[in-house]
Parts: sequence; C-alpha cells; structure tokens
Amino acid sequence: MTNGENQGALENLKDAILQYDTEAAKAAAQKVVDQKIDPKIAINEGVLSASTILHERFERGECFIPHLVMAGDAMEAAGYILEASIPKEQITSKKVVVIGTVEADLHSVGKNIVAMFFRSGGFEVHDLGVNVKASSFISKATDTNADIIALSSLLTTTRPYMREVIEELESVGLRDKFKVIVGGGPITREWAQEIGADGYGTDAYEGIEVAKQILGISGN
Amino acid sequence: MLSLLEIAERAQKGPKMDENAWNMGLFRAMNELTQKYGILYPDDQPVFNCDDSMADNAFEAAIEFLVDTGIYCLSTGRIIQLTRTEIMDLIKGMPKQYAVGEGKDVRILKQRRLEEKDELNHCPGHHAPFSEELAPLVIKSFAEIPTCDYLEGINFSEVDGREIFGLPMEVYAGKREASWMRQGVAKAGRPGLAVAYYPINTRAAVMIAPIAREFGLRPSDGILLSVLPDVKVEQDYITTAIVWEEYGGFKLNGNGSGYVGGFCGDLGGAIIEGIVAIITGWIVYRDIASWGAVWPSTGFMSGQKVPVNFSEDWGTSVWAQALHRHTNYILFISPPAISGPGCETQLLEVARRAVGIPINGANVHICRQGRAHMNASQSPLEQEWAFEVASAVMHNGLNRQTAGELVRKIGDELRTRTPEAPYDDIREFYDMVHHKPLPEYEKAYLRTKEVISALGLTFI
Amino acid sequence: MISLLDIAERTQKGRKMPEDDWNMSLFRKIGELVKKYKIPNYTKDTPFLNLDDDLLERVFNAGVDLIVEHGVYCITTGRVVELSREEVLQAVRESPSEILVGTGKDARWMKQRKVEGKEKLNFCPGHHSPFTQDLAPIVVKNFAQIPRTDFIEGFNFTEVDGYEIFGAPIEAYASRKQISWMREGVRKAGRPGLAIVLYPITTRAEVLTAAIDPVDGLRSGDGILTSVLPDEKIEHDLLATAIACEDHGLWRISGSFSMMGGFCGGADGAIVEGIAKPLTAMICYRVYVNYTGVENVRTVSALSIPLQPLNWARSVVNQTLNRFTNIICMAWIIPTSGPGTETHLLETSLRTIEATINGANLYAPRHSRAQMNAGQTPVEGELMVEVSDATLAAGLDRKYGGEVLTSLAKKLEGRTPEPGFTIQECYDLVNHKPSPEFEKIYKDVKGQLTELGLSFP
Repeated sequence: MTNGENQGALENLKDAILQYDTEAAKAAAQKVVDQKIDPKIAINEGVLSASTILHERFERGECFIPHLVMAGDAMEAAGYILEASIPKEQITSKKVVVIGTVEADLHSVGKNIVAMFFRSGGFEVHDLGVNVKASSFISKATDTNADIIALSSLLTTTRPYMREVIEELESVGLRDKFKVIVGGGPITREWAQEIGADGYGTDAYEGIEVAKQILGISGN
Repeated sequence: MLSLLEIAERAQKGPKMDENAWNMGLFRAMNELTQKYGILYPDDQPVFNCDDSMADNAFEAAIEFLVDTGIYCLSTGRIIQLTRTEIMDLIKGMPKQYAVGEGKDVRILKQRRLEEKDELNHCPGHHAPFSEELAPLVIKSFAEIPTCDYLEGINFSEVDGREIFGLPMEVYAGKREASWMRQGVAKAGRPGLAVAYYPINTRAAVMIAPIAREFGLRPSDGILLSVLPDVKVEQDYITTAIVWEEYGGFKLNGNGSGYVGGFCGDLGGAIIEGIVAIITGWIVYRDIASWGAVWPSTGFMSGQKVPVNFSEDWGTSVWAQALHRHTNYILFISPPAISGPGCETQLLEVARRAVGIPINGANVHICRQGRAHMNASQSPLEQEWAFEVASAVMHNGLNRQTAGELVRKIGDELRTRTPEAPYDDIREFYDMVHHKPLPEYEKAYLRTKEVISALGLTFI
Repeated sequence: MISLLDIAERTQKGRKMPEDDWNMSLFRKIGELVKKYKIPNYTKDTPFLNLDDDLLERVFNAGVDLIVEHGVYCITTGRVVELSREEVLQAVRESPSEILVGTGKDARWMKQRKVEGKEKLNFCPGHHSPFTQDLAPIVVKNFAQIPRTDFIEGFNFTEVDGYEIFGAPIEAYASRKQISWMREGVRKAGRPGLAIVLYPITTRAEVLTAAIDPVDGLRSGDGILTSVLPDEKIEHDLLATAIACEDHGLWRISGSFSMMGGFCGGADGAIVEGIAKPLTAMICYRVYVNYTGVENVRTVSALSIPLQPLNWARSVVNQTLNRFTNIICMAWIIPTSGPGTETHLLETSLRTIEATINGANLYAPRHSRAQMNAGQTPVEGELMVEVSDATLAAGLDRKYGGEVLTSLAKKLEGRTPEPGFTIQECYDLVNHKPSPEFEKIYKDVKGQLTELGLSFP
C-alpha cells in the first residue's frame, strides 16, 4: 500500500466519525485493518484526531451534545475493531472517567458536555447522572478501575459534596488510586486547591486538557 | 447545651466507621459494661428491681458507653462523639414537664415518680394502620377517650384512591394524615388536642410536609423521631428535628428500648442500650418523651405462646429507675400484645404490662397488637382498659413487691393461653359510632376484669 | 387539568427507559419536528427579532407534539410520563394568564404580556445569586427597596450561624433562615407583604419544604423555584415540593428556557424545547410563571458574550408563548460580564429591550458565573426598569426595535466578558447607590442608549 492510500484510509475513518456514522466508521476501521496500517497510528490519526475537530465544532455551535454522543459511538465502534488487531501486550487501555453531579444538585448540562468531551477524546466514560452520593462515585470508580473522578456542581451550597468525595477516598485509603477533577459554575481554582482536588477546569476544554496533563497523556 | 446544628455537624464530620464494625463494637462494649457494672438478673428473679444501686450502675454504664463509644449516624457512617461534660450538661436540660396541645386541650406531660400516685398521662392511639375510609371515625373515637393527652397519627396505604408509592404521593399522604388528625380531634370536641405525627415513612420531606399551622401540624403538636436500634441515628431525622425545633413542635422517641439478643447482647446490655437510647433521643433529636422498655429482640411480632418473661420486666424496671433517679425524663410504657384486639387474651396481656406502668414511674402509651394489621390492631377499649388497670394499681397502693406478685399471677394465667386474633376489622368488635365495644367484646372485657379482680386488684 | 397526583402516579408506572436512550431519542424527535414544522435556523438575513407570525403557530404545535409524542422523563424513576393531546391542550386552555403574588398592600398581579405590548412589565430585581450571611440583612433590603419590585427571590450562601452548610440537616436549617432573612429584609424596606421566592439551598424536597411557615417562612402568596430540568426531565423532589405547596397556596416558578447545543440541538431545536418546557412545568409542577427563552450550553462558562442566534430564538419562543398560551413569561438576564462593568450593563440593556418587545417580564439579572457577593447589584435591576420603560415609551416594535438591538449588539461583538466586582466594591449598600465609578459607567451606558433612540426622563 502506498502512503497516499494509507492516508486516504485514515481520512475516511476520521470523516466517518465526523459524520457521526457508526457503520461507516466500522467499515473504515476494517479497511484500515485489511490494509495492514498500524492500528495504533490509526487510532491516533483517524479516531482521536477527530475529537479536536469535534470540540472546535461544538465551540462554534456547529454541533451539539447529541453529535458528540454519536461521534463517541462511532469512535468506540471503530476503536473496538482496531484494538482487536493490536497484540494484547501492546494495548494501552483506555483511560477511564467516572463523572457526575454531586449530591443534592440536579444540574446536568455542563456535566454532560464534559462527559461527551471525554468520550470523544478517547476516554471510557461512566456518567452517573445527577445527585450522586460520594459512595456511588467511589464504588463506580473502584468497579471500573477508573483513572479520574470528575465532579460537577452548580450550586454554591453543593460544593462541599466535592470535598466529601475526596475525604471519603482518603478515609478508605483510595485517595492515591484516583485523580479528582472538579468544575462547575460556582467552582474556582481556589476552591479546587482548598479541597485537595487534582485539577480544575473553567470549562470542558480546559477540563479535558487538565485531565490529560494529570494522566501524562500527550497530543490528542 | 449543644445545639442541634452542632450535632448535625458532628454527624457530618465525626470519625468514619463501617456499620458492621459499629455493631460488633457495640456488642463488645455492652458485654464489658455489663460485667464491669454487674448488670445481672438477680438469683431471686424479681419482677421489679428493688436494688437502687443496680439502677445507678446501669445509668453509669450508659454514660460510659456514650462517652467512650458515641452515637452512630447511619446516613454518613460517622460517629457523633461527645464528652462527659457535654452529655451531663445535656441531661440537665431535659424537661421534667412539657405542655402539649392548645387552648382548653392543653395537657402537661410529666415525669412521674416511681410507685407513686401521680396522675398518669395517656396516649391511647394510634401508631397503627387504618384505611382512608375509616380515618374520620377512628380518630374521633380515640380522641373521645377523656384521659387522652395527645394522640398519635395513623398509617395507611392508599389516599384519594391511589397507592401511596414514591416521594410525591408520600408527601401528599403525610399532609392528609395531619389534616385528618386535625379534623378528627375537632369532631371529638378536642380541637386543641395535641397530635403526634406518625410518619408515613421516614424521609425528611415526608416528615416536614405536614407542618401547617392552619390545617396540619401546629407548634403545639409533635412528631415521632425515634432512635434506631443499636444506638443509631439518621440524617432524615436530624433534618426533621432541626426544622421542628425551630417550628416549636415537640418530638417523641418511639424507641427508648433495648433488645435482648440483639447487638447489645444479653439482658444487661439491653438495659444499658435502653437508657442510652433515651439519652440519645434527647441529645440528637431533642425528644422530650419516650416510650420504651426492655424487650426480646423478636419483639411481639409472632409466637405460639404468649411471652411471659419476668427478666424483661425486671430489666424494664431497672431502665425506668435509672432514668428516674438521674434524669428528668418523661417516660411512657406501651403494653403491646401478641394477640389481636377483641379478646380476653389480649386484655390479659395488656393488663400484665399495664401493672408495671405506674410502678415504673411511667405513663400509659398505645396498646396495640405487635404485628399490626390494617384496621384490626387496636380499639379504644384496650386503651381504656390499660389506663384502668394502671389507675387501679395506684389506687390499691401497690409497690414493687406487691405489684410483682400480681404480675406473676397474671403471667401464670397467660401461660395457659395461646395467642389469638379473632377479628379482621375493628368494626367487627367495636362500635365507633357509639364509642363502645360490641356485646361479645364487652363480655370479654368484663370477664377479664373479673379475672384480674380475683387476682387481687380492686378496680375503682 | 390533570392533577399532580396523576403525574406522580405516572412517574411511578410509566414505561421504563434508560436516560441515555431518552436523551438521544429526544434529539431525534426534535429533529423530526423541526423538519415537519419547517422551523428555520437563523441566518445572517434573519431579522434580529422574529417578524414571522406564521412561524409562531408552527412552533407552538411542534412544542405540543414534543410532549404528546415523546412524553416527559422522570429521572428519579427512569420512567416516561405520557400525556395525551387533550390533556396538554386542556392545561394550555385552563392555566391562568395572571396570578396574584404577595399579600396586603404589596400584593401584585403577575401577568402575561402581549408581544409589542404597551403595559409596563412585572419585575424581580434579584437574587438567585450567592451572598455571604453577613450581607443578608442589608442586601435583601436594597433590592426590595426598588419600588417597581413585584417579587424577590432568595439567595444562596455557604455558612449559617458559623456552620458550613453541608448535609441535609443544616441545609434545611439554612433554607428556613434564607426566608427568615428575606422576610426581615422586605419588612425593613417597608414591603412586608412582598412576595418571596425560595431559591434552593439544595434541591432536596425536605430542604425546599422546610421553609414553609406562615409566621416566619414562606406563606400563601410566596413561591418556590421548581424548575423543569433540561431535556424535558422532571424529578421527584421537585414534584413532591410542588404537591406540598398546593395546600399552602404557594406558587412556583420554573427555569424553563432551553439550552441550545444540548440534546435539543441547534437554535431550531432549542425553540421547540423552549415551548415544551414551560408547558411541562405547568402540567407537572403547576407552574404558571416561567423564565423562558433560549440560552446556550456554553453561557455558564462566561468566556464569550452570546448574541445571535439566541436573541432571535428567544424572540420566537416568547412570542409563541404569549400568543398561544397563558404562560407568564419572564426574561432571565444573565450577562456574561460581572457587575460594575460597562459590558454587564450593555448586555443587560440589550436583553431588556428584547424582553420588552417580546412580552417577557423582567427577572433577576445576574452574572452567568456568579461568585460570592459578585453576582448582581441593584443597579442592573433599576436599569432594566428604566430601559424597559424607555422602550415602551419609544414605541419600539419588533422591526424598529430589532434595528436598535442590532446597533447595540455591535457594541458587544468581539468583546471579552469583564470579570466584574463584588457588590461591596461597586455599590454602597447603606445609601442604596452605586460607587462613583460604577455610577459613571451607568450614566455612560444610558448615554449610549439615548444615542440609539431611547430617552430617559
């Protein structure tokens, strides 16, 4: 296969994701495998590179949360096919995020955006919804072997429940196992530092970048 | 005196502990305290405790438990810790008497003296399930009992034709319960009679919803906020306590008890737990009165025999005496029964417990079949009977010894009987319209009275 | 109208559906309705405010169809509440177009307005914003003193009586204290009967209902914020609160604007949800006063000043609701700049003119990313009233008003939101006036508005 043909296959894969087309993404991923293109390159250049474009589209108002969901579906489907052709010992497992809005708070919009950004950014995301107790965050993070617990709050009075998650992690000896990032309307960098969070994002973009930095993920 | 906000904060920030660890820790602590303070059933197996030092030791054991072990908040999995000074300071703040109700129906709930002839307070009903269509008449019937000082609410499973399921309906039902209670007492000519809300369930929103000065619960009314077994408290209750505290209503502890065979261990542990539960209810919820006793951990839910166990009577008396000697607490004792209402056996079971009420310096609380059934758990007659027996005990000048002998005789009578529950609906044995038992039940009542009289109790 | 108990029962017995499935299904359904009813998207040729009256009926039908054909989702039970067309339309017919709030001399009629109407608008000047406890005694009074205030909303805070507000018990206590302070504040302002709306400390039912008390808390004529959640979702704590309120004569208000960029899609889909949400609030929580319109999911981040297509989309929503329902619309002005700044006042003015022409009453202006004591001052509220009155006096209609708004929007294009100041930094709470610097800004903004054709007495 020529470089040009390889590049074309990767572009097709990226395009399928950017068109939110799961079936096309699967077909394109299969073609990549058939063409014996390095699947790790395909994941980076064909799948994850789409996420930057998606986030920019979202910022410009050209796509919305549901599009991020569909793109995420397409990415997952394609990723599954590509990973199957990577020798097991070479597979870098996806980073896992458990996300939710803290206890006694029903706001969801910001959290949804961040969740979708994570997903389309190649993370495995477990969204617990709203009004989530500290114990539920920890339980899910433990069950899924999460890397990050992402907490959202939109009421000044529900911020303390973020601290509770961190304290609960400490009390059960799991604080070092998970990185905790926080965000939301009343949340500030100072608050994040005060409660001992590992990171803070003003918005979804910053949140993702912070998460990647914390986890030592570079590039896309 | 520590505020409820302070308690709430300690429930949020105290040291964490797994619930299983708490339970087993409780068991060990109670065992140690029982041994240390010698809380053991005497060899002569009295019915009522005659050893004041036993009561004092039991009280001291309870304080030591609270200081060293604390109180467990189930919601947060944390321990509320208190110093001895804080606890004793709080105990000093317990009211010896408390006004409930309003206008001409104001009543004073009081701590009564042991073995004395102080007037009895009386809560004759409900804490039992009655269906919506019976509510108007049932509440009125119980409120018509002249000795009634306050009345507890009812539980039910449907309202306005809908099943009570899910928070929104539960909130609605809670408000309806309060509204029916208000109407029922008014119909009985007791518009200011205090009503104590019996929770539809224990969610805070459901316990707060019935508050309404005009048509629901007033500041002169109350609510049931009970300490859970094994010295546990819970945030929905703390929330409710804080709201009610500001509102001005009174709070009652429906579980100032210890359970033999539970995590508190044996009889000694149950006595200590019972005392701890009373003090905890005051500290954490500001419950101004409580009913309780020492019970078997299986309670009065079922059985093929009527339970006659004088060690528990003795345990109850140690519990009551400890509280009387060291606190101002207002106690009620509830004479439950395994048998259902409408029969002689139940009236005997009620009588057996009712004898101990004035001896233990307590007031008369609701009689009810232990395993309550819809519309068939109680009628006004058992309540009036319990009050009658308790009054007769005082009138006869019985003391711990002589009352103990009477209880033994009633116990002997009960041992010959099997629990029974002959009726499925209050209307089968009680005429609520005319506030009197139906003829069969009346005969059973008169026979029971003869039996008790023959055992040595003279009725007024 | 269908009872709230019926709604409660349907939340318990409706068909089950995972929330993720609901979200995507809503997105698809709204997409279908946008196509079916030919709801356009905003283009550079679209007027600033909607001028197409034919569009409004299509939009209304799309909103009704969304509820009838897709239902409402209860996140507590994970079940769908289904409603028939007759039930929805009956609710539309039977809901009142005006309600009385407050008591005594301070009672006010909250009314639905007409598009391009001539009547002065209802007005809530604050709060829905966090203030520290020490400011409570004076802040509430300041806002309640504004003479045109029809009702006032509570505020959030993080400590009470020296305790951090954390955990249901202290939250419930704080909820009662919020109203107690509000009650005292309105009395100090000489408005003892002014309607107070509880702003949730948290959204637990017990925390919301704890504040009900005719002596020192919420009483008949007061209200509680019980909002329908984005994506046509309701929830048991809020429904339970609505049920509890009914006995007491407490009215409710719902944040019923849609969020463009969310599961409703773009501006076109957000318009459809913007109609469905207030109808849902009315049916499921018995809410007659809604803050309506369309916002953007990115507004809370306050990193840019959102303009079109939101202005146009909001105008479609508010015009539709005012033409085809009895819903009492309120415009929630949430500037992305902080108080005490020119951009904040310009954003406030723009949204106020827009609201006035579209027939939406004026509601609690507040920085979109409000920080403690830095969400709002009385100046914004007072400016809203002035600008609204001037808009009415100038007889601005949708067309001419749109031109004025286009010019005003140009002043905001490309500008970065300014962070703003705390209320103490830019406002004198003792003497009820802005700081000299803020006053200068305020006068300057009024000058700019005068140049655009608004005159102020």
